[in-house]
Amino acid sequence: MSQYNKAELRKLVDGELEWSRVQEIMKAPKDDDRFEKWVALRQDEVAWDERILMPLTFKLYIVQKGRERIVKCECGHEYGDYRVNWKVYANIFVRDSVEDLHEVYRGREQPDSTWQQVREYYCPGCDTQLEVEAVPRGCPPDFNLLPDLDTFYRDWLGKPLDEEMEFVDKTQEVIDSWK
Amino acid sequence: MSAGAVAEKPRSPLKDRVAENERLLKETGSMFGLTEMRRKAEDPGKYESVWHILLNGMDAAWDVGCKVSASPVAAEGGDAVWSVHVPTGESVCSSKGIISHPGLLSQLIRSYIDNDYEINPGFKPGDIFENNDPHFGGIHSVDFQTLIPVFHDGELICWVSSVSHVMDGGMILPGSIGFMNPDAFADGVPFVMERIGENYQIYPWYEKRIQCRTRMPDWVMGDARGRLAGCFTVREKVLALVEKYSVDYMNDVMPEYVEDGRRYAQVRMKTQSVPGRIRKSNFKDLAMKGKRVIKPEQGIDCYMNVPMEVTVDKDAKIKFNMRGASGWVPFGENITPAAVISGLMNGYSHMVGFDMFNWGAVAAWELDSPPDGSWANPYPDNYFASSGVAWAPAIIWLSSLYETLGRLFYSRGFIEEVAAGGATTMTGEFAGVNQQGVYVAGMTLEQACNGSPARGMADGENSAWSIYVPNADFGNAEVNELYYPILYLGRNIEPDSGGYGRFRGGLGHTVVWMVQNTPGIEYACGDAGIRSKVLGNHGMFGAYPSCPDRPSYASGTNVKELIEKRLPLVHERGDPEDPTLVRNIKADVVETSVIAPFVTPSELHDYDLIVHPISGAQSVGDPLDRDPADVKKDLDNNWTRARVALDVNGVAADYDEKSREWTIDEARTESRRAEIRGARRVRGVPFKDWWKAERERVEAKENMDEAVLRMWRQSMKLSPGYGAELREFWKLADDFTF
Repeated sequence: MSQYNKAELRKLVDGELEWSRVQEIMKAPKDDDRFEKWVALRQDEVAWDERILMPLTFKLYIVQKGRERIVKCECGHEYGDYRVNWKVYANIFVRDSVEDLHEVYRGREQPDSTWQQVREYYCPGCDTQLEVEAVPRGCPPDFNLLPDLDTFYRDWLGKPLDEEMEFVDKTQEVIDSWK
Repeated sequence: MSAGAVAEKPRSPLKDRVAENERLLKETGSMFGLTEMRRKAEDPGKYESVWHILLNGMDAAWDVGCKVSASPVAAEGGDAVWSVHVPTGESVCSSKGIISHPGLLSQLIRSYIDNDYEINPGFKPGDIFENNDPHFGGIHSVDFQTLIPVFHDGELICWVSSVSHVMDGGMILPGSIGFMNPDAFADGVPFVMERIGENYQIYPWYEKRIQCRTRMPDWVMGDARGRLAGCFTVREKVLALVEKYSVDYMNDVMPEYVEDGRRYAQVRMKTQSVPGRIRKSNFKDLAMKGKRVIKPEQGIDCYMNVPMEVTVDKDAKIKFNMRGASGWVPFGENITPAAVISGLMNGYSHMVGFDMFNWGAVAAWELDSPPDGSWANPYPDNYFASSGVAWAPAIIWLSSLYETLGRLFYSRGFIEEVAAGGATTMTGEFAGVNQQGVYVAGMTLEQACNGSPARGMADGENSAWSIYVPNADFGNAEVNELYYPILYLGRNIEPDSGGYGRFRGGLGHTVVWMVQNTPGIEYACGDAGIRSKVLGNHGMFGAYPSCPDRPSYASGTNVKELIEKRLPLVHERGDPEDPTLVRNIKADVVETSVIAPFVTPSELHDYDLIVHPISGAQSVGDPLDRDPADVKKDLDNNWTRARVALDVNGVAADYDEKSREWTIDEARTESRRAEIRGARRVRGVPFKDWWKAERERVEAKENMDEAVLRMWRQSMKLSPGYGAELREFWKLADDFTF
């Protein structure tokens, strides 16, 4: 079984490992402690103290906050229950006109704004562009990843979390509460 | 037997074995009930050696078959594949080449068994079977599938199969990318689960059918002989293995390789991913209004909903769902569930089950039946829906597979396995008289070499990847110039063709062709998986997707004069708002941003130019987080433009004419990035506020093309649950439709 120390994984994450070494890692059997080391590396990167349960993106994490599990940005901004699509708590800017699209896509590279919107999701805390969707009007935002945390920790890692929670998409409950 | 009595229908032993295998898989969770792999356990070295001998044999067959064919797509492009299968059809081992097919070939063999072909006509040594029909395990008519049964001492020990993509399949229009086919009756010469030869010889009537129903019969027959030559090569290799290791060993070990494939795929997911649910929307345009079409009802724009939902359960078993897929289209872009499975087996091998590429991985996941009447399952509603280029929507769907699996791997920490999303597949086909005075109809393989997706910690590779073939290769320009009346004026990496992100997608390239030495030739810019009106929905972690596929051409040009005067020509696309074609060339007709696919309205002639773009792949991460040192490298290599560096990556740089190098201005970069972030803060609104205004616009169908509306109507009708969720999200009335 492969094993990589934290320093080498740090270099891998930062894109500083030689490509030949990255290929060796890709071709070798997978290290069975990667998740623990990965979370530890990411925990080192953030200034806040909540325990990271699972990294979601370059900037977003699922963390344990008291008895809740929430999505939190590297900058500290908090989004709410991880079973709610964090996008509904983000800031959004939609490019659906020629003028707005022109900033990014010009001339023959520009999509047709009557066929598609380009939705940019920003963190209200740090203005990082967290996700971009290119979808037609009417498309609800994708809930990209809803992990089954309890199954993962209990059955896959053998380290159950303190309090189990129902594995369910709660996004519509939030939408329903909006007038 | 008394008069009037009905004879009992003979049973097919293979059919019984299939049923038994299904029972064993269900009960034990292992292919063929192989909870233990005896041969692997007793001698793992021999097990591995035999696998590699078999694999080398498959690749030898590919070499032989492609070269015997002599058709450019096979000989130069390698667009073919050979596989060996256990008697019940599951593929064991395949060659390089178009590995999107072994899944179909496995299901084709199953079709033969399910239809009692073992009884009538029976299977015997020397038989040659062929199919190209999607109703029974084909994909589209130009992909000819050949099967031969292999016997040892009277016992069927395996099947050998092959597919090659022929240059012309006798479709309604010349060539092999039948996006324009209105229905199955336009889909070309059919071979429907037939025996096409016995005693190791093709029947004479097979060649006659090819001769009178395809435009390039020499190449098509060459392909048939090539497939057969490759099949015989595999047969020899397998029988040599039987000779050396015994038939008992081979009969045991081949099913073990399949089970090994299943275990590998399952363990990979258990090790590398997390359980849960992923949703990935994607859409694909097929805009044909106002273009040259065949039937009046084809004068429409289509927008295809290409959705993917993936669930990973507690046992790392994967389930794929296509709820929301929109309806079949009156073009050659419909596909069957069997072909989707085969495409998925291919895509899965890129990301997961790639150690022993075989049917085993298929047992590690399930595909819910796509909605009846959708582009992915048209026959319940339209048995004659065309599949002229069935891969087109599937390629777009498989691109989502990269990103969905990439997100799972990212969360688990395997960032080196992340891949952002695929490139597109746009073909260039020609039909007309070439420089030797010979009529040709066929394509180059320019599309078989895209940029590769960005990784979780690195850019993708430029011009190094193809979604449908592991050995990405666009063939030699000089060889293409021998077949077609074209000369290459350029084949250059295209700046900014891999989207924008912290890590960018590998770049694509641009090929510029000058038509030469022909009385006239048609250029078909074909859709084998493209987006021309829209971007892909691939903004993973904040990236911008790569731009749409838009070719250009100029007809009736002054290029001859420019050559004589040694003035600049065209070697690239150039600025998207000021293309080189317009800057440098005068012509009767200049089209600089054509919505593909299309066939040129009239033939092209000498000195006409085509600028054919090949896409890059997708990026990952906020472009403002791209390391300025990487932006400098891109600028120095002409892989990005200064405008993009400044306005998208927020990197300010200055060019030194003397050293011919860019230098990053760190202070201006910091301030530019702060400026862009500030602009986001000003223009971004809370999602809830946007939702409130947007739901009214959705309800009013504001600024929505008819193609978009029709797509939503179809998706919501074919998948009522999907429709209900959409209405619920926007708080639309229960009976609301678009």
